[in-house]
Order: sequence, then structure tokens, then C-alpha cells
Amino acid sequence: MQRPVGNDFFGWIAYLLDSYGSLFLQGAGYTMLIAISGTVLGFLLGLLVAIVRTIPVNKKDNIFKKILLKTVGFILNVYIEVFRGTPMIVQAMVIYYGSAMVGINMDTLFAAIFIISINTGAYMAEIIRGGIISVDKGQKEGAHAIGMTHWQSMVHVVLPQAVRNIMPSIGNEFVVNIKDSSVLNVIAVSELFFVGKSAAGTYLRYFEVFAIIAAIYFVLTFTTTRLLRLLEKKMDGGKHYTIYGSQSASDASIKVEQGEAVPHD
Amino acid sequence: MTEKNNVSMNILQVQNLKKDFGKHQVLKDISFSVNKGDVISIIGASGSGKSTLLRCINYLEEPTAGQILYHGKDAEQLNRAEYHSKVGMVFQSFNLFSNMSALDNCIIGQTLVLKRSKKEARERAVAYLEKVGMTPYMNARPSQLSGGQKQRVAIARALAMDPEILLFDEPTSALDPEMVGEVLSVMRDLAEGGLTMLVVTHEMGFARDVSNRVIFMDQGVIAEDASPEEIFTNPRQQRTREFLSRILDK
Repeated sequence: MQRPVGNDFFGWIAYLLDSYGSLFLQGAGYTMLIAISGTVLGFLLGLLVAIVRTIPVNKKDNIFKKILLKTVGFILNVYIEVFRGTPMIVQAMVIYYGSAMVGINMDTLFAAIFIISINTGAYMAEIIRGGIISVDKGQKEGAHAIGMTHWQSMVHVVLPQAVRNIMPSIGNEFVVNIKDSSVLNVIAVSELFFVGKSAAGTYLRYFEVFAIIAAIYFVLTFTTTRLLRLLEKKMDGGKHYTIYGSQSASDASIKVEQGEAVPHD
Repeated sequence: MTEKNNVSMNILQVQNLKKDFGKHQVLKDISFSVNKGDVISIIGASGSGKSTLLRCINYLEEPTAGQILYHGKDAEQLNRAEYHSKVGMVFQSFNLFSNMSALDNCIIGQTLVLKRSKKEARERAVAYLEKVGMTPYMNARPSQLSGGQKQRVAIARALAMDPEILLFDEPTSALDPEMVGEVLSVMRDLAEGGLTMLVVTHEMGFARDVSNRVIFMDQGVIAEDASPEEIFTNPRQQRTREFLSRILDK
């Protein structure tokens, strides 16, 4: 391999980009793959946990259902407390090497996604529970009053609003996952930090390599936050609606901007 | 009608209903019945148990004791979804689904609970929105509507389930004064159309002019149950007289 032209900072940067650029990009790809799957799977896991933990217990329910819910609730509590209460880097070691000890040799990428998903799930469970609680009780009563079951009101009324309300927190988790997936280098998954570590070790140029790595992380997180903001806007739906018909012309329709359309309130 | 007695005319019968919240007895021993076509206003001071009574009838609160009979059958043994679609409710704070348009608010219960087709549900929803004068706004979200408009949509949503009786829990209490009229006029139309209604209200004008019976509640019991003429011109009880003079002076 050719040595860099200049022995200064920019010389090394240029050289590293040239020789390690594609590996860095591959590492960034792995990082995003782990972060996206971890966030999505963690969200689904958290959703499941939050839904189970908000099942209402009625005084008249049979004893079996009550005991089952209590037990499951207890197990889920333990899960949340343990995974929120220990560092992910430690969880990675315990799960990866622990499973190897009982004879399960996980693929490192699979292990990485598995670990980040259950870790994210523990946080998401609490975020989503908060979202569910934040939807005003009146709407549940409204659903109840037209005969909708708990599940129907959850699916059609509560969860869509809860998820919209917690979008900023979900985005936050996603960004945290992009950054914190770096700790998974301890199980040798070739994500961005791991690639950086090997590049830096090869040339013993830690500062230059990690300056590049830092820049790549920042581009990833910044782009992600912008995209999430757009998604949120989209979820809010149109800012205007159409008023159909009028006294004189029944087929007339008027578009109305939010706020301005409303004569009172 | 050819029925010889009024059993078939009797929609709801509340029997010895009691409701405690902890040690606090909110409803002490409530019994009354509602016949088809009745428009009953329930009046009384705050804390007298009016809203709790309505919420117990709708099972938003589980009664501590007593029974509610729907057409002579224990409502608790009936299918809850069916009971709720027959016994509708309109809330003080509207309780519209804020993630749906006015139209979808009126459709969803029909398709999910009554299993009507999308097309049929939509047609009915539009018809009821028309009835409350809200068709122009059917695509608006609740947040884009005024309080009075929201309440009219909420009434349309309840009507779309074809209820046999509609419970109103202080439907105008959360509204600005200039919007009270539009909601009361919708309710007046419904009463004239023969809908059976149970209305918890502070609108004494409505109670006097529209209802055929007025129930005065005081401290968890029905203190007086009579025609509006009797209640408003010649109440039998001292406490009814006191309440009315307090509220009518305002």
C-alpha cells in the first residue's frame, strides 16, 4: 500500500478515505441496518409489552385471567427494569458469550440486532405506555359508549394517537441506536466503530480515523432526524379541509385553512 | 298500540341502584323507569349524583348494587356491545375521536360494532350529520371544529348506532354561551321526533319546555320525580324549591 502524500492531518484523511472509504461506507451500512431493525423490532416488542401492561383488569374478570395478567405483568416489569438498568455493552457480552456457552453460536449481525432490539424494547415499552396514557380517557369512554371493545378502541382510536404523540421519542430512540450500536463492536460485528477501530489499529492514526468516523455518524443522525421530522408532518395530515355545499350552490366546495376556517372556539 | 299494559313500552328500569366510590356513597337507592318516547330531564346540584347515575346506566361505572333492566332483562346479562348500541351516550366533553374526521367518527361504530357495510354506514352517517346540520364539515377533524359543532357531531355519532334511548350528560355545560342554542335546538328536534332521551342538564328552559318528566336529585337520591309543570310551578319538596330558586335567580 502506498503511503500518504503528506504526513499532515489532511494528507492522512485523504489517504484513509481512499484506502478505507468503501469499508467505512460498509460499516455505516451495517450501523444503519442494526439501528433500523433494532428500532423497528424494539418498537414492536415495546408495543406488545405496553399493550399487555395496559389491559384493564375488571373486578368481575375470572381469577385465572387476573393471575395470568399479574404474572405476565411481573415478568415484563423484570424485563424492563433489567434491560434499562444495565449497560447495553454488558448485555451484549452476557447474551453473546452466554449463548455460545450453551451451544448457540449466533451470527454476529444477528446477535447485534437481537441485543439492540430487546434493549430498545425495554425503553419503548415505557415510551408507548406513556403514549397510551396520554390519549385522553374521554375518547376511550366515547368508544365504549358506542359499543366498541377494549381492543377495537385500542386499535382504531388510542394507538394511532399514542404513536403520533410519541413520534419524537421514537425518533430519539432511533438516533440513540445509530450511535449506541457502536458498543456492539465488543462482539466483533463490523459496524462503523468496529471498522474504524481496525483502520486506526492498522496505521496507528486514531485521531484521523475517528474524525472521519465522527463525521459519518453525524451525517447519519442528522439526516435521520430531518427525515423523521418530515414523517411527523406527514402523519399530521392536511392542514385544511373542505366545506361541502352551501345554501345557494350545493355542489360548491370551499377549502379552508386550519384555524381560519373555524368561526368560534 | 295494542299492548294491554305498558311493559313493552318500558325501555329501561333502574332498580335500587347504588354506587359507592370508596366510603363515599354517591348513589344511595335509585329506582325509576323510562318508557318509550319519554324525555326525562335530570336536574340537581353538582355532586348530587346525576352524572354518576347516567354513567352507571351506560356501565362506564360498575354499579355497586342494584339492577338495570332493559326491556325487562338484566342489562348485565346482555351482550355489552349490543346494549351500548341501543343505549347511546352524549358526553359533556364530546369525546370525539381526534384521529378521525367527523364523518369517520360517525362511521366507525357502525362498521365495527353493528357490522354494517362501509357503504351503508357512510350513507347513514351522512344522513345523521345532515340531521344535525354538520354535513358541510364532515371532512373536518374535531380539532378544527367549534364546541357546538363538536357536540352536534357527537350526537350524530350516537344516533348513527340507532339507539333506542340516548343519554345526555350535561351536553351543553362545556360550551360557550352562544353555542348552547345550536345544540339545544338539535336536542329539541330529536325529542319532537320521538326519540327517548335521558338528559342531565342545568338548562332549566329545556327541562321545562321539552321534557315530559323531570327528576330532581339531591345527595344521591331522587327527591322528586314529576311533570315539569309540577316541578317548576308547584314542587312538593322544600329542597326542590330551594334548588330552583338558587338556579333560576342566576
